[in-house]
Amino acid sequence: MKTVFTPLFFLLLGMQVHAQTMTDGLLLPKKVLCTGLAYGHDSWNEYWEGGLKRTNGNIGTVTTQSVGLEGAYGLDDKVNILYGLPYVWTQASAGTLAGQSDFQDLTLALKYLALDQAIGTSAIRLHALLAGSFPITDYTPDFLPMSIGMGSKNLSLRGIFSLDLKHGFYTDLSAAYIWRSNVEIDRTSYFYDGKLINSNQVDIANRSDFHLAVGYRNDKLQANIFYNPSFTLGGDDIRRQDMPFVANNLDMQRVGALCRYHFTRNFTGWEINASASYVVAGRNVGQSTAFMLGLFYAFAI
Amino acid sequence: MKNIFLLLALASFNFFACQEEISVTEQLPHFQAVAKDENAGDWTPILPITVYLIAPDDVQSVAYQAELASIKQMQANLTVEQREIIKFWDGGGSLRWNQILRELVAKNNLPPAPNADNTYPAPDANNPFNYPIFPFANPPYTCRSFSYFCAAQYEALQKAWHFKFLYNRASPAMNDSGIEALMGNTNLPSYPSEEGVMASVAEKALKLLFPADSAKIYQYATDQRNAAIWSGKASPSDVAAGNSIGNAVCAEFISRAKTDGMKTAGGNPTLWQALADSSIAKGQIPWTSLESPARPPMLPFYGGIKCWFMTSDQMFAVRPAPPYPTNSPEMAAQVAEVKKYAKEITRERLAIVHKWADGVGTYTPPGHWNDIAAEYLIDAAWSEVRTARALAYLNIAIHDAGVACWETKFYYFNPRPTNMDAEIKTSTGIPNFPAYTSGHSTFSAAGANVLGYLFPTQAAYFDNEALQASNSRLYGGIHYRQDCVEGLEHGKRVSNFTIDFAKADGAN
Repeated sequence: MKTVFTPLFFLLLGMQVHAQTMTDGLLLPKKVLCTGLAYGHDSWNEYWEGGLKRTNGNIGTVTTQSVGLEGAYGLDDKVNILYGLPYVWTQASAGTLAGQSDFQDLTLALKYLALDQAIGTSAIRLHALLAGSFPITDYTPDFLPMSIGMGSKNLSLRGIFSLDLKHGFYTDLSAAYIWRSNVEIDRTSYFYDGKLINSNQVDIANRSDFHLAVGYRNDKLQANIFYNPSFTLGGDDIRRQDMPFVANNLDMQRVGALCRYHFTRNFTGWEINASASYVVAGRNVGQSTAFMLGLFYAFAI
Repeated sequence: MKNIFLLLALASFNFFACQEEISVTEQLPHFQAVAKDENAGDWTPILPITVYLIAPDDVQSVAYQAELASIKQMQANLTVEQREIIKFWDGGGSLRWNQILRELVAKNNLPPAPNADNTYPAPDANNPFNYPIFPFANPPYTCRSFSYFCAAQYEALQKAWHFKFLYNRASPAMNDSGIEALMGNTNLPSYPSEEGVMASVAEKALKLLFPADSAKIYQYATDQRNAAIWSGKASPSDVAAGNSIGNAVCAEFISRAKTDGMKTAGGNPTLWQALADSSIAKGQIPWTSLESPARPPMLPFYGGIKCWFMTSDQMFAVRPAPPYPTNSPEMAAQVAEVKKYAKEITRERLAIVHKWADGVGTYTPPGHWNDIAAEYLIDAAWSEVRTARALAYLNIAIHDAGVACWETKFYYFNPRPTNMDAEIKTSTGIPNFPAYTSGHSTFSAAGANVLGYLFPTQAAYFDNEALQASNSRLYGGIHYRQDCVEGLEHGKRVSNFTIDFAKADGAN
């Protein structure tokens, strides 16, 4: 199987996997289903409070773990449907705040091959990806950094450009815009961007997400290094010694490496994949190190 | 497959259709007060203050006619922005300032971050812009601020009402048919102007309480005075008279504040240690800070500051009985109950915990009860002076409850549940002061008691909200049941002093 999410908790304070990088330029063939489980581990003990990097003795190291059911299915040779649903749990190594756990957001996406052009021994492809996600439980997004997600319904559109060279070297470059719905919280007022808002509705800004991967792939093996900057297009800073808030301006630049191995030469059979990544720069996010390990099985139906 | 695209397209349509417009503040609509309260000048004052105000110029005088002419000219040239300012202040100054004060609290309610050497810096009133910004508007600071602010507003409006009906000079809009009434309540005598009174009290009091926000406060006060003039509700001389009343009354409250004991409420390391030592000497496990690094207790001698309607002897007389000894089986049962609630928290209880958390970066429980009160006061459409009276009593009761609660907390120095059992994890932050009794419970019972007195048909609702606020602390794992139960009772006892005063003040 050639398409999996990389459920990077690109999320800082345990944000959702919604934009899980459905970022590669690959598709499953018609009537093939690839599905499996992915385990994610994301932790940080330093975070940016606005632009100020700091530790906090009242939380120590914040760890977010998840097990997600993920998969993709070839509707036809040009369109795949993708899905993902993680169970997420958080904990802090210091202080007294209680960890949270629950099923988080269901993501459904359609990936469409818009262009497939051979140029000599190379190939260029363009994919469009339309994804939606929404919380399937009533978890609270208003207990950051312990919350398991941001609680918004999201809709994103991503364009993916791929270039595959003769010997298996390739690059995938993609950009996405993510619309985010208002979030409902349990209190009737909150302070945001210098103002007291008397409402339980929080208008959270949309996001953008970019992904550049460079690596090697063939029928069995794929390995890449990637750069994944993502930005909130608005939002305010965490104030000095304040708690983080769902409407903060979350920016982060993550770098990492991914490796995936498919045990057979055709599309069916077992596959494992693993990735590791690190936040090199950010704002209002934890400087997290994340690992992901997935085991998948693909078969024709 | 086409169907799936259609489905997604429909889903996305629905997604955007669901977006609601968020209204930023509670709306304060144009209103006409249900009564003028002509005799408000005779209501019993909170502090015995005497102010004087010379009689206004006659309405036929050249000076006053010139004022009217200038108002007419201003009204002919009102900009959209000026009309917005009029609208902003038309819903009642007491309520608008109350909203502004809640925002100032939320903005300033941030504890100082620790220094590199694990000590904590203290905010400095003389250097308010330097980090840590002054003030740290924690609950005690906030309830004191609200009480002074609202009491001074009320008292100054009372004096204004006295002179309004003594001199009986009608508003510009009533005196001159060429002047439009662009605000409500222009049927009141306008000398002195209540907007001038409120703007001056606010400016003077809030500059001391929130000095780093002086510029914003000055702008609001200027707008409020201008709104009164532009709207035909008051002339410049009405506003000037209001300013002089506001300034004179506020000065008296400020001199009380300077000697009320707040200056020494923070204590010092020797006194902090003495609190722990005395608890140990009584054979008790003392409270210790659960923050890392350990933070000095929040205003441990706030319990010594002067109350409004209660002497210290009266306060000691209504102090709750001691909590269970820390080594008693009863205490072990209290700890076990908290642990059970903390572990078995449901989504419904978590929502209650967060509804009432009112922690760092919020307007605190005192602000929350003002928020609750505002809705009822908007609907009541009382005169400005009667609304101010309600807010004054509400905040005086909450303040006195806060002082009595802090006195109790540091008298017993009872540990938090997590001090007793480190495995207790909490659904909200643990406040940095002893457990017994619960501040939320005490504040809330006082607030609910006064609101129930003011709006008797809603009393059961307010009591229920107070009970929920109280329980939220047990659900969240940060208070024992005894803290909550005793706190509610204590808040009620303390606020009865305020209600007794209100019953006899002549306003009923």
